[in-house]
Amino acid sequence: MNAEAFRATGRVAGKRLPRMDGIGKVIGKHVYAADFTLPGMLYGRVLRSNKPHARIVKIDTSRAKAMPGVRTVITAADIPAVRYGQAVRDAPVFALDRVLFYGHAIAAVAATTLEIAEQALAAIDVELEDLPAVYDPEEALTNAILVHPDWQDFKVLPILVRDGNMTARTRMITGDADAAFANAYRVYEHRFKTALQHPGYTEPRASVADWDANGNVTVWTNTQLPFDTQTTLSEILDLPVSRVRVIVPGIGGGFGGKLRIGVEHYAALLARNTARPVRVLSTSEEELIAATPRQSAVVHLKTAVDRDGKLLGRQGRIIVDCGAFAGSGPAMASVSLQVLAGPYRNGTLALEGIAVYTNKVPAGSFRAPAGPMANFAVESQMDIIAEDLGIDPLELRLRNIVHEGDKGPSGEELKSVSVEECLRKAAAAIGWHDRKPAPGRGKGIACSWWMTTGGSSGVYVKIDPDGTATLVSGAVEIGTAALTGASQVLAEALSLDLDDIKVAGVDTQTSPYDYGAQGSRTAFSVGNACLAAAADLRQQLFELAAKQWNITTDGMELRDKQVIAGNKTIAIAELARLSRLSGGGLIAHGTANSPGPAFDPGRVENHMLPAWNTPSFHAQAADLSVDSETGAVSINRYVVAQDVGFAINPTYIEGQIEGGVSQGIGQALSEEIVYQNGRVMNANLTDYKMPTAMDVPEIECILVQSASAAGPFGAKGVGEPPCIHPPAALANAIAAATGARMHSLPMTAEKIVKELRSARE
Amino acid sequence: MSRRLLELTINGETHQLLAEPHWTLLHVLRNQIGMMGTKENCLEAECGVCTVLLDGRAVNSCLLLAGQAEGHQITTIEGLGTPENLDPLQQAFIECGAVQCGYCIPGMILTAKSFLDENPGHVPSRQEIREAVAGTLCRCTGYGKIVDAISVSAERRLAKQHKEPAA
Repeated sequence: MNAEAFRATGRVAGKRLPRMDGIGKVIGKHVYAADFTLPGMLYGRVLRSNKPHARIVKIDTSRAKAMPGVRTVITAADIPAVRYGQAVRDAPVFALDRVLFYGHAIAAVAATTLEIAEQALAAIDVELEDLPAVYDPEEALTNAILVHPDWQDFKVLPILVRDGNMTARTRMITGDADAAFANAYRVYEHRFKTALQHPGYTEPRASVADWDANGNVTVWTNTQLPFDTQTTLSEILDLPVSRVRVIVPGIGGGFGGKLRIGVEHYAALLARNTARPVRVLSTSEEELIAATPRQSAVVHLKTAVDRDGKLLGRQGRIIVDCGAFAGSGPAMASVSLQVLAGPYRNGTLALEGIAVYTNKVPAGSFRAPAGPMANFAVESQMDIIAEDLGIDPLELRLRNIVHEGDKGPSGEELKSVSVEECLRKAAAAIGWHDRKPAPGRGKGIACSWWMTTGGSSGVYVKIDPDGTATLVSGAVEIGTAALTGASQVLAEALSLDLDDIKVAGVDTQTSPYDYGAQGSRTAFSVGNACLAAAADLRQQLFELAAKQWNITTDGMELRDKQVIAGNKTIAIAELARLSRLSGGGLIAHGTANSPGPAFDPGRVENHMLPAWNTPSFHAQAADLSVDSETGAVSINRYVVAQDVGFAINPTYIEGQIEGGVSQGIGQALSEEIVYQNGRVMNANLTDYKMPTAMDVPEIECILVQSASAAGPFGAKGVGEPPCIHPPAALANAIAAATGARMHSLPMTAEKIVKELRSARE
Repeated sequence: MSRRLLELTINGETHQLLAEPHWTLLHVLRNQIGMMGTKENCLEAECGVCTVLLDGRAVNSCLLLAGQAEGHQITTIEGLGTPENLDPLQQAFIECGAVQCGYCIPGMILTAKSFLDENPGHVPSRQEIREAVAGTLCRCTGYGKIVDAISVSAERRLAKQHKEPAA
């Protein structure tokens, strides 16, 4: 049965229905990982390095172990020397012979109370001998100090090109950029910098682990990727995957910060040593010194144009600072190149992405990872070019954007291209005709594109004898309402109401595989798997009805919760009851996978994600005022025009846009994990400044719906794109308001006022 | 450390327990009594997810010693509404799409309740609402739909007050 046979009627899919887990969340009944406890549970804590780079001279745990209430203390010496990681397996559970960053785990303790565990940390005697360190990602490329002197021993994906501190290098090349630059009317060259940004989820990373009598371990945790966590745990614990069970009770935000193993391994190792359940919960300080913030980046971008502002070529290099372990850095060095190319006809391209080690916190993938860093550079520079050529910034973009059927940067064919519509709608809504309405006030615009990450999804859908359905998915509901969306797709296809659907919790032992809550893919991929399951169930229902009526299934319809054939009808509930009598009940397994489009391998070198699956297009525009004395920015209006393909539930799509923009405003104006000599200076939520309700303006959303071929009812990925543009849109608006061009994030009031003063002098 | 008998009134019910003097109200609620609706995050009164009401006023339970709450009426999210009979704020948060991951929501709703109760008789402006909830961080929503929900709730409450003048 073909899933494409389903059409959205607007009955359930496309409607603003309340999320399925809403009541539990507003009455305080929803259980998050941080709320999960077991009888007899011990409390685990992690000892972390207070030096950025040092040789471990001595670790003496004897005093801590002797304390009443302390049940175990473990260090690297107590566990197998396993290194885990994504593209590069470089990360051990605890520091081995050296600590590599401020916050590096050295030991872990389990005790009967949290207080005793904390006291035990203080009783561990650690002697560290300072080593010279490297903190600057550009310096790290030429520095003699190696973060990993043994880098050549690591297991890595064969696609990677590495050398010392450089842990990946990738390129994107189209045409002869040198020739294009030689013949250009003008060439622009700029350098941009972005900062480390914490994902800022309100629920800290939390895990409870418990071992059963057969030597299997169960971990209740707030991971976005339960199956990836299961695999990593199996490696660390040296167990077959099937003996590690990961359950996600509930998760208080992730935004990419809970993708990879966080505290699960500490809980599992401590629990194994004590034969007791152990809980580990990150503190705020640990979150800010030792979680996985968005990588910082340095971007050099050179652009060649003709007299009319037509792009002739782009050359550039983005350096992604991985910190002490590679994490997602190699993948992000790759993905950043598509963002640098932008939704533009560039003429020629010669772009390079580099991932580099430094002695700082291992960074990772925060929502649209690599997106805002690259977009800040390319979209700021578009405005600089426009200003220099005397062309309106919107007009310059419209002259260069991609259109339907164009080739993308890897030579792939672009479909459902909507960037013009997004730009025009955002510009019209912000009142672009009046771009500098008053002194100190200005408007800025930025556009981009982003992928809908593929990866496979499986679901089971079971129909109960009351005619309702249960969706069993391995996808985590991280708050986006993606599973409400997928359920709307399912309900629509089965002719049910959303109230007729229940969603089972994620348990790697019983849930079908899902690639995880990442990459703007959950509603898209799980929705597609739901359509496949619905097609199977519909066929099963038809066959049951055919048997009942002794006719063929020809011309049967599934409508209004019943199977209809001519003037005969039978309820889904009745068929589910009949199926129990003879067929073991109604259940279907639906799967979905969405491979990327064909591309030209000659245009990419060592690129981990060479062609994007079902890209979306978007534009954002800001209207703001800058106080010329203090540099303080106040955003008057903010408009987003985003192509979502098909809006499965407009309320929660707006929620994604508003939340993503808010995080982007934070990255643009205030958020930075500040390092001084390798130490984090602002490891608390007062000094790490996330936007409050006072800092975020009303965000106006325009949902563009240019249907995709691959998504459920034409949907495209939604969650990540909104946080890509704010740094560039705000930088461009600041320039329009004041003439000051900001080249580094965050654009704090202090930096702006400094720029204004130097412009006056 | 020596424990002493503590008597707390939580959502109208009396709870007696032996507590150490330095225990916070948050610790007692979550880890001693097992009421998990009040959330835990920064433990430094910076994020607001642990907000409860003390005699109707919003406080951060992570910094308040449990002993300081003796003799006061403590209201947690569990005391506000039930699935069958939601508090109007809870209802409005659902209707307006103000809930995403939901971890900040108990604190946010209680902060809003305290604010609306302190400002009866008018519908506060969106700016006033933003100021009132600025102490509670939400990373998911960008706050717009939270402001919508509080605003809608305030409007409904006023309409109800007009319909049913105080007896």
